[in-house]
Amino acid sequence: MKYILMMNATKANFDLYAKWSKEDLQRNVAFMRAFSKELKDSGVFVATEGLGWPNEAKTVRAGKDGEPITDGVFAESKEFLAGYWIIDVEGPEQAYKIAARVSAAPGPGGTRGSMPIEVRQVLGGFADLGL
Amino acid sequence: MKYILLMNGTKPGVGTYQAWTKTDSDTHMAVLQTINKELSASGEFVATQGLAGPDEASVVRGQKNGVPVTDGVFPESKEYLLGYWIIDVETPDRAYAIASRISAAPGPGGVPTNMPIEVRQFASPAPKS
Repeated sequence: MKYILMMNATKANFDLYAKWSKEDLQRNVAFMRAFSKELKDSGVFVATEGLGWPNEAKTVRAGKDGEPITDGVFAESKEFLAGYWIIDVEGPEQAYKIAARVSAAPGPGGTRGSMPIEVRQVLGGFADLGL
Repeated sequence: MKYILLMNGTKPGVGTYQAWTKTDSDTHMAVLQTINKELSASGEFVATQGLAGPDEASVVRGQKNGVPVTDGVFPESKEYLLGYWIIDVETPDRAYAIASRISAAPGPGGVPTNMPIEVRQFASPAPKS
């Protein structure tokens, strides 16, 4: 079963992260790299991506003539997807265990994090969905 | 440049979608499938995934002993990721044009849904230290 582990954050959260010291960032990134490597080594890794910053985010809707209408204004409370992992595991319990590990990625000063990780099953691509 | 097109929806929004007739949802899916085929043909397609419904979402945090704490309660206003496309395009405008086509996919009675599609770039590589 495929699951996606999503790191969501508000703009305020992103701003705090941007203020981390270089040492704190390097420690966090090293943890994330080791985490991804571990997922690969254990054969559950499918994909991971980190997304650009919220200030580059746009919402697009189709105008009446089909032209895109873009908007870059979001509610303060909006959660932006910051990055994700897709894993292929035996069941939800294994997905939660893996999510708990990444939740504990180190924060400023090396303190243990407790970032919320949203876990959802991935149904598949269009081919898998019979499209 | 790689972009991700995120289709987000609230629980009430997903509920509305689930109430569509079969004809309406088949028509909608057929248009999305056509868009996927066109993106594959133009070499811009990278990946697409659909996620399970919001009812199955959990938030997980790790405890000190590594045991996961799961929670399934979210604010009513929460936007859930319903699915995404990853595309590799020349310009942001091309990404917006593709997002606009998805937004214009037909809803009930063939009327375009006008659904908002969030367009995001991928993170640039970390600066070398």
